[in-house]
This record gives sequence, structure tokens and C-alpha cells, in this order.
Amino acid sequence: MELLEKLEHLVNGAKYDAACTSSGSNRAAGAGELGSALPAGCCHSFAADGRCISLLKVLMTNSCIYDCAYCVNRRSNDVPRVAFSPEELAELTIQFYRRNYIEGLFLSSGVLRDADYTMERMLRVVELLRKQYQFHGYIHAKTIPGASPELIWRMGLVADRMSVNIELPSEASLQALAPQKNRRAILRPMEQMHGWLQESNTKPCALQTTANRLPAIHKGSPRFAPAGQATQMIIGATPESDLQIMRLAEGLYQKYRLKRVFYSAYIPVRQHSLLPSLETKPPLLREHRLYQADFLLRQYNFAAEELLDEAAPDFNPYVDPKCNWALCHPEHFPVDVQRAAREALLRVPGIGPRSCQRILAERRGMKLDFSALKRMGVVLKRAQYFILTADHPCGVRLPGEAVARALLDPKIFAFGMEQLSFFQAAPLGLPGAGDVKNLREAAEEAVRVMGGLCSA
Amino acid sequence: MREPTARDMVYQYDGSMEGFYCCVFEAIYQGELPAAIEAEAETQPRLFAPVWIETDREKALRVRRSIGERIAPRALELTECVFYSCLEGRELRMLCLLERCWREGAKRLWQGWSDPDLAVLLQAERHLLREAHLLKGFVRFSDYNGHLAAAITPKNFVLPFLAPHFAARYRSESYLIFDKTHRAALIYECGQSRMVEAAHIEFPEVSAQEARYRALWQRFYDTVAIEGRENPRCRMTMMPKRYWENMTEMRPELQKRLRG
Repeated sequence: MELLEKLEHLVNGAKYDAACTSSGSNRAAGAGELGSALPAGCCHSFAADGRCISLLKVLMTNSCIYDCAYCVNRRSNDVPRVAFSPEELAELTIQFYRRNYIEGLFLSSGVLRDADYTMERMLRVVELLRKQYQFHGYIHAKTIPGASPELIWRMGLVADRMSVNIELPSEASLQALAPQKNRRAILRPMEQMHGWLQESNTKPCALQTTANRLPAIHKGSPRFAPAGQATQMIIGATPESDLQIMRLAEGLYQKYRLKRVFYSAYIPVRQHSLLPSLETKPPLLREHRLYQADFLLRQYNFAAEELLDEAAPDFNPYVDPKCNWALCHPEHFPVDVQRAAREALLRVPGIGPRSCQRILAERRGMKLDFSALKRMGVVLKRAQYFILTADHPCGVRLPGEAVARALLDPKIFAFGMEQLSFFQAAPLGLPGAGDVKNLREAAEEAVRVMGGLCSA
Repeated sequence: MREPTARDMVYQYDGSMEGFYCCVFEAIYQGELPAAIEAEAETQPRLFAPVWIETDREKALRVRRSIGERIAPRALELTECVFYSCLEGRELRMLCLLERCWREGAKRLWQGWSDPDLAVLLQAERHLLREAHLLKGFVRFSDYNGHLAAAITPKNFVLPFLAPHFAARYRSESYLIFDKTHRAALIYECGQSRMVEAAHIEFPEVSAQEARYRALWQRFYDTVAIEGRENPRCRMTMMPKRYWENMTEMRPELQKRLRG
């Protein structure tokens, strides 16, 4: 088959993987080498769906022995099956990289024959790149469920980031939709890699034993996956609540020190009794809320249980999780920007890690007022109701309804009105799926509901 | 040091970094603050002839050293960023800041974003660094007989900021990046980067192989977007339209279709 067509099929099979980040590694090319990596990563383009394109995201092959209900590459799906040869893919990566199209390679694969055979073929591509082409750009490799630890270990020595897909947020869902997989088999390599990562971070010399067959990427002491490990799960295909999902993510961050958990809104790929119907739109607003909450876990020291509880197990569609938390916890506000500790400042809606840093650095020498905060990057539109400043020593006091109107997330309607139906309505008394007809009605409803929240 | 006297004269210099440092030297030495500092190429017709400031390496080095040592290393970093930015009146604004820093100490510098005058400069610095960061990803090379070449049209003069990045990445390649806006080119060969003035650079015809990799990249770009998640506004925010003209995947017919 022509390479152009083959590429199309193998990109089509890979594109539902959410992660395309290239962060976490830092190195420059030495003499005779090609490629570097930036700690913050680098986006090379943005696709029509607005997602960053950083890596050449492809499958080794889209043939698969598994038959997971939610997957485009499932055995029973009627699509042409193709595969790259390792040489072909390595050459393509290099040629794309030289033209600055990409930051590196994101390599995944359907399972051909068995896990080890597939993993070996992937390993062949990565080792070709590292050894023959002296390629020092970024490589993200998926581990194939069931692959032997030896192969995973070898892959980790040449790749920057490793990931195991956790697939679905609960064991029960996994059993229903991907009966050939099980949670334990997914967590095992994750745990194993966590152990290797810890080891290579604390005492890199312990890995020296394998140094004799190490490729060029590791000068000095070898490191296992310097950009750490990540995972992703599909949301919206199965009935888990946001609370369950956040608890799972929190557990993964704590237990395995994952760099990132990615959430991928389910896009209907087939008619199936256990899956949402083909007409269902992907729950993009819900995915957006999960990412916002994920940032709160990783960079704002929030716990999953603070953001959601059994009484309200799903996010409020109308405001972001941080605003929602602030509205529900008036006892923590207002915060005096001149004196408050970093932790308290970070919890103010409209103040992020960067503006928080600036406040801490600059408040010693001066009295902060609204205009100074604005220049520092604080979003006053949200922050003003939660802070005390030199020019507003008593804070801005407004009736609940006005605050609600101000805090309403303008993004919620950008995804389309039906997005609201993906949230559990009960606890907030939100309108049901078909109840909201137009934008103004939805906005008024949101203000009414949140106004109640604010004055409560 | 006394406060400088404001004069309604205009300094004119050759547009180089060193030339700018000589303007600073002149202003401090004379104890005056000109009404404007302009580069030779940007001269506007005026009633009075501007004062020409000759570029002198010695003086420039003295000023540069003094900024780094007597004010702070951060002041030097800021100066050299703002100088290459597209901020209106950047030379005079920088001169005012430097003059006050010499007089009052570097204290002002740490007030950062809460000081309105400084905030403008920090904003310009951030604008430039952001554009440089975006272009690290958006530059598109084509292969001409083993040599790589690309064109860009940035608002800020980002070539000095791109040079170390690409040198660390394509260490064994040779490449050229042509900045159409500022009529300059960055050339890297045999492990050395250099900057040259270039009014126009004609790129040769592309080879069949180059055309093939472009087609492969375009196919990748079109395929990787998930249908059902189209978000043109998000794409435009993340990748502003003004970069599209130089990007292989945003070929003219796609741009035309997107413009409606």
C-alpha cells in the first residue's frame, strides 16, 4: 500500500489517544547527533480540533487481537489492516523531525500476534532511531498490556516517557467492555515502572548493570524514562461519576507518581448496547472540567474530596471547579492579598501559580491594589469577590446573583447546549437534558442556580 | 547623579544594539533626556535635524558592563530582550528605566509588574519571548539538496532567540532561517550560527522528495484532528493566523476554505 494511505490508517487508529505532550526531558544534541528536548515541551502545530500536535502520533500496526468495544482498532471492526516496517517508520520520523514538523515520536500499536512480539517491533523502531540515526528528540512509547518486564525495561531505557492506558475508570466497566483485559494486569507494569523510576532517580548507578547494551541517549548514568510515566482513560463511555474519576486520578498520582493523567471524551465509534448511541456528542465540557480539576490536584494542593463529595459527585457545569469550591466555602474568604500565605492565595479564583508567585515577590515593598494585581495577571473578574486589597479593604460585596453572573464560565456554551446534559442534574437542581432551549435561557438558569449557591 | 534635563531633540543611531548603548552613553554623559531615539531606517521627516549618534564599540561595551554590574544582570537581560521587541519607543523607554536605575539603584527593577512603566517593558519582553517560543515549533524547513531553509514573518526580532535552540537541535545540519519582516537571515553551517542582512531570498524549486514529505505531513495533519471535536476558534487562539502563511500544513487552499 502507498505510504500516504498507510499513514492515514495508522494515524486514524492512534488519534484518540489524548496525550501529545513532549515535556519533562532536557538535552541538546552532541556532535553527530540529531535532536534535543525542552523541559516545557513544544507544540509544533494545532489541528482543526484545537489540540496541540507535538509528536508524530501513530500506530505500529492497527491489527489487533483484542476486541475492546470502545476502540476503533478492535478485531471485529471492518477497517483495512496495515503496518509500518520499523525502518519505514524510523525514516519517516527523522524526515519529519528535520523539517521541524514534530518534536518526536509517539508510538503505540495494536496487538499483533502477542504482546511481546508487538513490543519487540516497537522497540526495534525506537532502538533504530536512537542507535542508527543518533536521534535525541522526544519519544513517548506505550507499553502493550501483557508485555514482559524485560521488554518494558528495555523500552524505558530508550524512551523519554512511558505510558500504560488505564482505559476505563472502573474495573466493572473494563470487564463489560474489554473482557480480555483486567485492571490488575494494567496496574502491574505501572507499579513496576514506578519502582524503576524511583530507583533511577535516587541511585542511577544501580542501573549500570545493563549499561553494556545502552544506546547513545544515556551518557554517564542511564535513566529509566526521564520524562516519567503517564496514563489515560476514556470518560463518558461508562457511568462513573466525576468523584470516582478524580479519586482514581488522585490515587494514581499518589501511588505511582504519574506525571499526567489524561482524560479522553468518548467519541461514539459504533452502535453497542453498553455504549452511548452513535448520535451522542463527545462530553467535551465534562472533559474540560476534569482537566481543570486535575490541575487543582497537581498544582494547587486540592484533594479530590474537597472538590466533590458523595452528595455532589459531579462537577458543576456552570462554573469551574475552583470557583465552585470557593462559592461553597465562604468561610475561607475574603483573603488578604497583602498577608495571606501562599496556600490561601492559590485557592482564590482568578489567582494562579504565576500571579501568586508575583504577589509574593512584590508585596513586601508595596501596597497592592486592584490595578497592580491586574498587571500581575490576576483575573479580577473572578478574584475581586474573594480578596481584600489596599483600595478595597473591606472587599467587594455584591448580592449573590451578581456574583453568579460574573463567575459564569463563558466557555460552557461554546461547546454547544447539549453538553449540559452530560452532568448529573440532581444535586444542584440543574435543568435536565431537553429543558434548556437557548443560550439566554441557559445563562439565566445558571445564574438562578448559582445565586442560590452564593447566598447559601 | 542629578535628574536629567528633558530636551526636545531626537537621537538617531544605526539601529544596532551597540548603537543603542551609545545613545545611552551620550544621554547619561550629557545629563539629558531626548524626546525620541530612532533607528536610521525608521526616520520620519522632522522640522529639526536629528542628532546623529556614532556607534563606538568601546562606549557600547562600557555601558553594557555597567548595566550588568552596577544595576543587575537582570537589567541587562531585560534591556537586550526589549531592544529586539516590537514595542513602540522601546529605546527611549529603556533609557528612562536604566537612567533611573543608575540613579536610584536596582530597587525599581524588583517592583516588576506593580510599576506601570516597568510593566510595559515586561509585557514587551513577554511578547517577544512568547513569539520566539511559538516559532520554535512553527518554523517549517524545506530540504534543498541536504540544506534546510525556512522563512518567517514575526513581529519581534526573534532570530537571536531562535539561534541557540536550533543550533542545539540540528547540530550536524546546515540551515537558514529568513526573517522577511526584519530582512535578516540566520545562517548555521559547520557548527557556527551567524546573522546577515538580507532584503530578499529566493528559494529554489522543491524536489520530488521534498514534495512527498510535505504531502505526507499534510495528510498527517488532516487526519490527526478528531471529527466531532472541531474547534476552529481554539486553533486560531493557539496558532494565530499570521503564522499560517509559512506553515506547510496550512496550504493556501486550506486557508482559503477556513476564511470562508
